[in-house]
This record gives sequence, structure tokens and C-alpha cells, in this order.
Amino acid sequence: MSILEYNGAAMIAMAGKDCVGIAADRRLGIQAQTVSTDFTKVFKMNDTIHVGLGGLATDVQTLHNILKFRMGLYELREEREMTPQVFSHLLSTLLYEKRFGPYFVEPIVAGLDAKTNKPFLSSMDLIGAPVQTKDFVVSGTCTGNLYGMCETLYKPDLEPDALFETLAQALLASVDRDALSGWGGVVHIITKDGVTTRELKGRQD
Amino acid sequence: MAPFRTQHQTNRNAAGGPSLPMMPPIIHSSEGPVMAKADTIDHGVTEAPYERGFSPYDFNGGTTLAIAGPDYAVVAADTRLSSGYEILSRNVSKLHALTDGCVLGSAGCKTDVDQLRSVLDIKQKIYHHNHRKQMSTPSVAQMLGNTLYYKRFFPYYAFNVLGGVDAEGKGAVYSYDAIGSFERTGYSATGSGQAYIIPLLDNVIGHKNRADENRDLPAEEVVEIVKDAFVTAGERDIYTGDAVEIMVITKDGIQTTTFDLKRD
Repeated sequence: MSILEYNGAAMIAMAGKDCVGIAADRRLGIQAQTVSTDFTKVFKMNDTIHVGLGGLATDVQTLHNILKFRMGLYELREEREMTPQVFSHLLSTLLYEKRFGPYFVEPIVAGLDAKTNKPFLSSMDLIGAPVQTKDFVVSGTCTGNLYGMCETLYKPDLEPDALFETLAQALLASVDRDALSGWGGVVHIITKDGVTTRELKGRQD
Repeated sequence: MAPFRTQHQTNRNAAGGPSLPMMPPIIHSSEGPVMAKADTIDHGVTEAPYERGFSPYDFNGGTTLAIAGPDYAVVAADTRLSSGYEILSRNVSKLHALTDGCVLGSAGCKTDVDQLRSVLDIKQKIYHHNHRKQMSTPSVAQMLGNTLYYKRFFPYYAFNVLGGVDAEGKGAVYSYDAIGSFERTGYSATGSGQAYIIPLLDNVIGHKNRADENRDLPAEEVVEIVKDAFVTAGERDIYTGDAVEIMVITKDGIQTTTFDLKRD
């Protein structure tokens, strides 16, 4: 039993044409027992940045609070909004500060550059080693399933509606083969005009 | 040169009374090579065994998959043989036609897979001799399950998938675990890349979580889906790659094609 598999999670972030999408399941469990079916794991940090935090639930919530706090401080000092690249780097440094007693969270960051509207995707391990990709990033207890689905279904430059369908199918098919994730899903599609959020109804088991 | 035994051992204690039975001397490696006791036939092995943690199994990698259709079955497997981080061969088949109507795909430990096949071939030959006909696919499925359970306490490290046509000509796929538990299913994937492929099959073949109309897929379309699945597994799994061997089984026989994958 790994601590990262204690509560269960599944999340994907994918890039489209001048848009990004980020999706996650809704389950919170304590090993085999499901405790909540509406647990939030994807958080909006500002109009252009969403972060998905998958792993130990207490660290998910603590890290969300710490990130809100640090973003607030940044905005007060810099008098401007944080960009996705800076946010990702902040998260990486935050996690590495706890190198020998880490937060048990493997986050993914999805953002849109405010000026160029180009997608930004990054993911990291629990001690902050970052990886930036152009296509998709995944995290959670069923990463094998998620990688397989994303690798097959992904096409570059998808429009927002097509991106939503791709994310939804990839997430649902993956969590249905994992006992620790599922119980519905939520998908956020971020474009320069705003964020569209849709809930997914899947197998409730 | 320090003497071998630094203590004089005796069955009598200092007071002259009986003591514990003589214990064998503790020989430290710094004192020189191990010497066997003169009164026993021993080659030093029991006193200084040097191979610890021997595992009878090796994992030689690979992914197999099988899909059943209305009147055909498709069985496919990659052709890479690996051990650890090394590639031993790019061109070894994991598929084996047991009869004209069914094909066994096995990934896992190559030697166990080869032995399992020999055993099944022999049993199949005997059946053919006794019954004057080939085994039907459901019979082969049962025989494989029984053969695997026969070695329940020292299993064949083989992850099997059996695909073929049943007596009515309909496609049949059976999935197994290493100790013979099996079930007839519509599709199956085993081996190192199974996690990458199974959710895709759930979605595309099983039509799960889909709102569009469910339709029967022709064999050619399924073969294209199989190629996509192996391209994906080849990307993300280090043990899968080089090429895919795809066999399409119908009541008229077995057709084999090979499709190249990335060799990295």
C-alpha cells in the first residue's frame, strides 16, 4: 500500500487549439471505502491557471491553501497576475523545500498564456521534478490506463468542444478499470473567453 | 598466520561437568578459505552458500491482445523479447496456432511459455488421435485452464489470451491468469502493456461510456484499432515494440500480417 494510493485520484490535462482542458474524477476514499463522491481535486488559481492535485487528500487541501496564499502575496507585490510558467515553478520549489518529508501529491498544471493564448502544461512528482509537454499530462492511481487512452485519442489542435469529448472519454475509460478512482468526473475547458465546466456521469462504483 | 580455531572446544566445562554439545566453529572470511569438516562429505556449500535469492522466473516482456467479432477473432502480439533493460530479439513470435481454429498468445517468462505450448501441443495431438477430430476452441480453453491449474503451486509464469472461432463460427476470446482462472470475454489484453490497452478496448470495442450507435465492426477496422493500440503501448511501455504480429482467425483459416513499430 503506497501513501499516494490511499485516497485515489485520476486526472488529465490536455492542450488544444488556443485552449487547454483539465479533468479529474470525483472520488475520495479511505482505501477500499468510498467516503465522498464530490471531492474537488482541480482548483482554479486565476483566470488562466488551473492546478490538479492528486494524491493524499489532506496534502491536496493543504497545498491548495498554500498556493492561494503564495499567489496572493505575489499579486500584492508584483501588481500583476501570475503566469502559468511562474506558477509551475513556484509549485516545484514549494515541493522541493519538503524534499525529505514531502507532500504526497503529484500535481498537474494547465494554463493559457494571457497574451499569446498558447497552452501551457506541466506535471511533477511529489518532490517537484517538473516536466513540460505540448500534448497532455496525467496523474493519479491509474496512470497506465490514462497514458494509454491519451496517447491513442489525442490529436493536436483540437477545438474546445472536441477537446472536451476527448478528455471525457479518456478519463471515463481509464477510471472504469481502477478501483480507487471514478464516481463521476469534472472537466474544465479554458479559453481566452473564459472557463467552461461540465460534470461527467459515469459508472458510480 | 593466525590459527584457525582460537578456542579449544570440549564437551566438558571448566568445572569438569557436562556442558552443551559441541557447536561448529564460526569461521570468518578474514581467516581464509572455508575448510570442510574432515568427517563429513561437504563441498563448503552449506557453510558458505553464495547464491541467495534465486528466482526461477524471469520476465521477458511483451503485450498480447485478442478481440472477438461476429464471425472472426483477431489475436495480436508484439515480437520483442527482452530481459531487464536489454533486448534479446526483435523478432520472436508470441502467437501459436494450437488448432486450425484457435491461436494462443502468451507473454511472460519465455521458457515457461515454450514449455506450456509443448504440453498443450502434445495433449492436443493425443486428443486428435483418440477422437479423430481437432479440439474445438472451448475445449482448448478448458484444457489450457486445467493445464495451468495443474501447476498451481509452482505456476507457469505465462499470461495467456486465447482467440478463435467456436463450433458455430462465432468469434471467441478467453482471458486467463497465471494459475488457470479463465473466462470467455469479448476482448482481452495481457502482458506489460495491458494497462495502456484495456481501457481503449473498453471504449472502442465494448462501446462503454459512449452515446453514439453501437455497430458490429468488420475485421479490417478491428485490425486498424489493434495497430493503434500497439503503437500506443509501444510508445509508453519499454518492453513493447519492434513489430506486431496480427492473426485473423475465421472458419476458413488463419491469416497472418506483420506491422512494424518503433524500435526504441
